[in-house]
Amino acid sequence: MRAFIIRRLLWGIPVVLGVTLITFVLFNFFAKDPVVAFLGKSATEQDLQALRVQFGLDRPHYIQYLDYLRQIVTLDFGRSWATSEPISEMMSRGLGPTLAITIPGLVATTLLAVSVGLLAGSLRGKAADRLLMALAVAGMSVSFLVYIVVGQYLLAFRVRFFQIYGYESGFDRWQYVALPIIVLVIVGMGYDSRFYRSVFVEEFTRDHVTTAVAKGAGSGRVMFRHVLKNALIPIITRVMISVPFLVTGSLLLESFFGIPGLGTMLLEALNTADFPVIKAYTVWISIVFIISTILNDVLYAVVDPRVRLE
Amino acid sequence: MSRRSAIGWSARCFLAAAVLLVVACKAPPEWERGKKYFHYGMRAKVGSLDPVRASSQYANLVGSQVYDTLFQFKYLVRPPELEPLLLARMPEISEDGTTYTFELVKGVLFHDDACFEGGQGRALVAQDVIWSLMRMADRDLTPAGWWLYKERIVGFDDFQKRMNERKTGEPFDWDAKIEGLEVLDRHRFRIKLVRPYPQFLFVLAMGYTAPLPRECAEHYGKEIGNRAIGTGPFILKEWKRGTHFVLEKNPKYRQMVYPSEATKGVAVRDVLEPVGQKVPFLDGIVLHVFEQDQPMWLKFRVGDLDMAQVPAEYFDAIFDGERKLRPLFANDGVRNENVKLLDFIYRGFNMDHPVTGKGEKAKKVRQAIALALDTKEISDAFYNNTNVLYDGPIPPGLSGYKEGVISPYRGPNIELAKKKLAEAGYPDGKGLPPIEFHTSRSGNSAEQAEMLSRQMKKINVEVDVQISSFPELSEKLKKRKAQMFGLAWGADYPDAENFLQLFFGPNSSPGSNAYNYANPEFDELYKKIRTMQPSPERTAIYVKMRDIIIEDVPAIGSMARTRYYVFNRRLKYAMPTEIDSKWFKYLDVEPRQ
Repeated sequence: MRAFIIRRLLWGIPVVLGVTLITFVLFNFFAKDPVVAFLGKSATEQDLQALRVQFGLDRPHYIQYLDYLRQIVTLDFGRSWATSEPISEMMSRGLGPTLAITIPGLVATTLLAVSVGLLAGSLRGKAADRLLMALAVAGMSVSFLVYIVVGQYLLAFRVRFFQIYGYESGFDRWQYVALPIIVLVIVGMGYDSRFYRSVFVEEFTRDHVTTAVAKGAGSGRVMFRHVLKNALIPIITRVMISVPFLVTGSLLLESFFGIPGLGTMLLEALNTADFPVIKAYTVWISIVFIISTILNDVLYAVVDPRVRLE
Repeated sequence: MSRRSAIGWSARCFLAAAVLLVVACKAPPEWERGKKYFHYGMRAKVGSLDPVRASSQYANLVGSQVYDTLFQFKYLVRPPELEPLLLARMPEISEDGTTYTFELVKGVLFHDDACFEGGQGRALVAQDVIWSLMRMADRDLTPAGWWLYKERIVGFDDFQKRMNERKTGEPFDWDAKIEGLEVLDRHRFRIKLVRPYPQFLFVLAMGYTAPLPRECAEHYGKEIGNRAIGTGPFILKEWKRGTHFVLEKNPKYRQMVYPSEATKGVAVRDVLEPVGQKVPFLDGIVLHVFEQDQPMWLKFRVGDLDMAQVPAEYFDAIFDGERKLRPLFANDGVRNENVKLLDFIYRGFNMDHPVTGKGEKAKKVRQAIALALDTKEISDAFYNNTNVLYDGPIPPGLSGYKEGVISPYRGPNIELAKKKLAEAGYPDGKGLPPIEFHTSRSGNSAEQAEMLSRQMKKINVEVDVQISSFPELSEKLKKRKAQMFGLAWGADYPDAENFLQLFFGPNSSPGSNAYNYANPEFDELYKKIRTMQPSPERTAIYVKMRDIIIEDVPAIGSMARTRYYVFNRRLKYAMPTEIDSKWFKYLDVEPRQ
């Protein structure tokens, strides 16, 4: 397994290089001049040129690209143009609030969707199954923004269950992140519960499950040894697809609920043409994608002995 | 597997997820119980608090609480008037209007900070003011306000040039002597101008000039923009980027009292109650940062914010047809105040363009477009009909402004527009290429551009709307690549000169004259007024310059916004103004229980 992981990590290097090259070309050859955004309304050409020098944009492109690669290797992405803060500090500060929403959101969505899928699958064809799946389809059909706006108005403003906006660190953060988590769960439930239902329907009808039940195996044994264990592969696949999104943050959720996460950071960087932040974020996401795909394969091998990592 | 056991297992899973969510909910903490904290919502983020970067309204809003400047605007006086803030009195000005001698108030202390010896803020001295002004010349700090000083102070431009052309590794000469910036003694300093600059004192009220202690700027280096070590009434205690600022009362703030001078009509409600009492009254300020209007408005409605600007989309829900608060709000003790902004919202033309810029034919095309434009419809649709529509570049509230329609090209007048178009050689719009209209993606600019396009169809003029980000739009303007564009200019100081300089030939792109308008007669008049002190003669020239712009139509559809502020019952002594934000120190709130 170690050899497999090392090989996959090595394969990741050209992927990251490709991402850096595309990002670099897009920013340096197609995007507009970022220095205009940073100077006042009456900046002269000399002022603009001076800032280009300060930002290092006057250097040959290959030097700038090599500098970009050096930043990735050293994990030192320099400072934000807009705030002069070290980018690594900005990212580590944004990661906590983002994960405070996305991890509980993913765990709760998975638990709830698995349970709804299990229930609907076991009641296949019955009225309750149809009702649950109709609700899931309806839930999928409503825009994310509607859930945010209505949820904030009803649950935070009208009923006062949650804070409307803001963020605190420590245990106090829960009063701010609970509503965004609920929104994430509701949004994710529609698709996930339909997906898990189809997985469980397939597992319930397998011969070995029928045989185990016929031989008098207990419900816990049937569930854990025969149904859930086999259903784990699609569940892991579904969960692992979501892993990169745990760290990207949600632009809409974070901006409506005032969560100072990575989504907010990216939005701000895009608005101010803060290229160093955007570049660091892009590399970060590509690395997380690579690691999550490796983790996905490793987990397959852990839960299914038929899978060999070679 | 039995159905019952499947239901049982799914119920257990459901319970586990529900517990996760229920644990997540908790009552809000009362961390400020019994304290007087003023809560206000800002609609944008702040990049840097370094005074030389304080170009945005929001950076100024925060900076104004922690950094005092040499002057401020009188809180209750309209139109705006300056008064000394860090100065003992108004400066002595030489007869030729070029030499200003200032004296600082004694005993003003910087906020305590680790950058000072022993952590105790030291006293402000004249050298701090001069040193802070010199920072404006250092391009490495990306100063946003250099243009206000350029070619104004004797020897300052040479110094700036010399410093910015220095070799790599050569240090900035902070101890250089500049003829126009002279420290006389511990509390007095002198500034010599190249020529009279009547707006100079307004510049010294801006955030750019706030004194910063040299040792702190050197101690924190690039990090200084993430801190604020000033002499203001509040101390920056916490800045959570993207969320909020917490400012606490400066216990060492000098003796300053609530003003008694007030203009009739401004001195309403309770604003004159605390006259003569020491300020600030507040224990602190919490400035909440919002990306969206809904959460800001909901926070105001539940009383988490004491004051808010009314978001455009909520206007009709809050105000009735007569722009009075609806009973739902009035009965809750909500009050409102409207602030007329010194705004110049317009659609401009690039005067270099062959079709709509140069020559008499192009002028008639511009006049036709102006006549087809219906600014009232734009104001109704996008500004809740709260804008003041006017002609020319001088907004209401400034010398040179005239109420009512004074332009023969104020639309909508479709018949006359068609006539002008025919005179230009494009009868019924035939032969006129589509007009490229450039605007930014922000706010409802794209929708406004679509409305403009629809209005122009009435005279058969095709408009090709091009939307870009604000930096992209700025670049197009600097490179003279935008044929027609939508922009706005907010006053840097309350003087029509600030708007007229937008049309001064030498200020053409990449300068502030985005129209690249060049009219020798206008330029001569501008050179004359820029050294004139306020007087009826100067106002007469302003009027003449305004009328030249109205006739030549480099910009059309002038509008100035009205900002509606609402405040909750617990806020006291509020009389908002946007000319500066130093008035938060005069506010008071009832303690939160």
